[in-house]
Amino acid sequence: MDEKVKQDLIQIVGEANVTDNLIDMVSLSYDASEHSHRPEVGVWAETVEQVSEIMKLASRIRIPVIPRGAGTGLSGMAVPIQGGIVLDLNHMNQILKISIEDRLAVVEPGVVYADLEKALLPHGFFFPPDPASGKVSTLGGNVATNAGGLKGAKYGTTRDYVLALQVVLPDGRIMRTGSKAMKSVSGYDLTRLFVGSEGTLGIVTEITLKINPKPTATSTALATFDNLEDAGNAINQIMHSGIIPSALEILGRETLAAINQNTDLNLPEVDAMLLAETDGYTREETDYQLGKVIEVFRRNRASEVRQAKTEKDVDDLWAARKSAYAVLARIENNFVLEDVTVPMTQIAAMLTGIHAIAKKHQIRIATFGHAGDGNLHPQILYNGYEPEQVRRMEEASADLFKMAVELGGTLTGEHGIGLSKAPYMTLEHDPVAMDVMRSLKKMFDPNNILNPGKMGLEA
Amino acid sequence: MSTRFEFEEKFRDQVLRCSRCGFCQAVCPVFGATLRPALNARGKMLLLKEVMDGKLDLNDALIESLFQCTTCANCYKNCPSGVNVPEIIKLARKDMVKAGSCHPAFKGMNEVLDKYPNIYAEGDPEDFDREKNQQAENVYFVGCVGLYREDESTEATLDLLDRLKVDYTLIDEVCCSGVLEDVGFPMKEHLVRKNTDAILATGAKRVITGCPYCSRTFNNKPQYAELREKGIEILHITQFLQGFDFGVTTDKRVTYHDPCDLGRHCGIYEEPRNTIRKIAPNFVEMADNREDALCCGAGGGVRGAYAKNSIAMARRRLEQAEAVGAEIILTECNSCVHNLANAKLRKQKFKIYNTPQFINELMEEAE
Repeated sequence: MDEKVKQDLIQIVGEANVTDNLIDMVSLSYDASEHSHRPEVGVWAETVEQVSEIMKLASRIRIPVIPRGAGTGLSGMAVPIQGGIVLDLNHMNQILKISIEDRLAVVEPGVVYADLEKALLPHGFFFPPDPASGKVSTLGGNVATNAGGLKGAKYGTTRDYVLALQVVLPDGRIMRTGSKAMKSVSGYDLTRLFVGSEGTLGIVTEITLKINPKPTATSTALATFDNLEDAGNAINQIMHSGIIPSALEILGRETLAAINQNTDLNLPEVDAMLLAETDGYTREETDYQLGKVIEVFRRNRASEVRQAKTEKDVDDLWAARKSAYAVLARIENNFVLEDVTVPMTQIAAMLTGIHAIAKKHQIRIATFGHAGDGNLHPQILYNGYEPEQVRRMEEASADLFKMAVELGGTLTGEHGIGLSKAPYMTLEHDPVAMDVMRSLKKMFDPNNILNPGKMGLEA
Repeated sequence: MSTRFEFEEKFRDQVLRCSRCGFCQAVCPVFGATLRPALNARGKMLLLKEVMDGKLDLNDALIESLFQCTTCANCYKNCPSGVNVPEIIKLARKDMVKAGSCHPAFKGMNEVLDKYPNIYAEGDPEDFDREKNQQAENVYFVGCVGLYREDESTEATLDLLDRLKVDYTLIDEVCCSGVLEDVGFPMKEHLVRKNTDAILATGAKRVITGCPYCSRTFNNKPQYAELREKGIEILHITQFLQGFDFGVTTDKRVTYHDPCDLGRHCGIYEEPRNTIRKIAPNFVEMADNREDALCCGAGGGVRGAYAKNSIAMARRRLEQAEAVGAEIILTECNSCVHNLANAKLRKQKFKIYNTPQFINELMEEAE
């Protein structure tokens, strides 16, 4: 690290908040993906003014800045692939305001999702997206990745709740987007442009989120299927029941086996298990909805349908589901966790396609995901120390992406492009769309200093 | 595969199994107090992965991370990939010590225990006005912190045992030395011998420890197998007391802090609560309790080596006690009492006790 730059950073945030200590350089070089690269320096900012000064400095000397939240991203978007400054925003972790009357919460980017959840609970409110990593992931990270989660089908993703942002642009200017009003069509929707922009356009320093009243009752059931196709058909017929489950998750055989290894749940190890939750305000209401969903399961040859009886049963099931990918990490040294998403009618095709791809490339692919919105998580398990397996993993990934796009779906439903899917951007987006995206990046960040190398924008 | 390090030989698979999901970040007390990813369990596993990959040397540069773990095991309890971080860290520390890298505080502690019978390098311990090394049914084993730092609490515990007419004796005890294995050094055979002989000489059938760590050491370490082979039962005081009726109650709002060494490491959650509920009908749990309890920040040598962060961890725990309006915080570990008391702010009006000390005080008042 250039000593002068380090001193300049110390001037901005103080000595305790600048590090080029080896242990920090290692920890800041990773997220939850297979990528890593060491930065030159790590900085903890505490105010928007500091972020602005850091960006002015970085612009002047043309050094990359990579904003970072909890580092739980799965596609390498927080990995400083070209070195530079990792800007850790965890110290900006204040909930600035909760206004039930205005139906909003104003937070700093380093607030952990679960901490906002805890703060909203006494008011009977919640911020619905429910990312599986919610007990650690930060809201800034959720915005940067447009995080989705288990409640996506009924409640949408982060994007649907961001009303307004404060953003520091790559040149250090501070901008406010959106409005704290529930509706606004005033000018271009800059807010939406930043949500999911993976820290490539600006650094979010304040977030205004719309919040929802939290339903007080839920009903949960699981259904097993001996045949993957039956499960797929059950999922895409759910809409005919007229019910939108608050969560509808699928877990494949490998995933169920791995969960059984880690818990005392003794889940049936079948081809597919569907886990459905309905929510509302009375038990009668949620049971009625769930009954409709169960009818669809039965019509599609579910071998077993079981409704969770106690609160503990319910908590255990969801905890198990949320730990699925990390539990699967027990099986092999390495994995990539994809999040291909297809239209609901194509789920059965995608599920059987994943099996075919695993067979073709002779590699293990465990599957689970948010069936309710067509978002599947094929998790490819491989040994990163064996080049042959790495090659097969890469080929299988490429086939998965190709299939998702061919089925009218997308490369990523919620994890983002980052580094992992950057080579496949042109598979999904036509040359005109790519050109527009690159032009946008150039306009906001002419020197390409903000999270460079991501989203396939440099090709 | 031949490996350079013991941690690698035993735990290579587990280090690689860390999926970097970061779930440990939600519960790691060191991360909670510092917000520094390098000090979180995941940060530590990444360092060890790079050591195994030959990208890093296991040297002084890693001390600040690898020697800054309270071994509270909250990460392990919450790790979906089942990575036993505390055990991995202990072996990595051993490898580091072997390679000549160690935090000076622990190097010092190891040297102290060669010369002195306790970790504080102090001379004659308090005898609490009691005859030692008597023939008795029980040996009460105090532990270093209870002898040299929390002697008031120890005296009260002994008074309580007297009130309850327990047949016990103190011994000329020395440090159990179990903690050395946590910080990279072997236990001291001469200390083990001295404790074993002193305990056996009393003819006791039970050792009651005031310190949960000593209890773990006597119960689990092969070095103390002789005690167990001779049929001596080893109990922590909280286990011993749960059958007693004290005949006193308090109307104060009482909460309980689970020491990691008693809770997550031994699964003892209900015994202390059973006792406390008898004396404190107005009992309230903190937000994180039992398996999820926040560490007080004292364990794994962190209090000695990284005092500032250790206190910051204790403050976070005290905030939880404040949030439930506790007037009394009870716990079952002198280290926890010591660290929590040191961290208490003047505006925080609650009092912090070991449970036996508090019960003794209630009984004293009732007399």
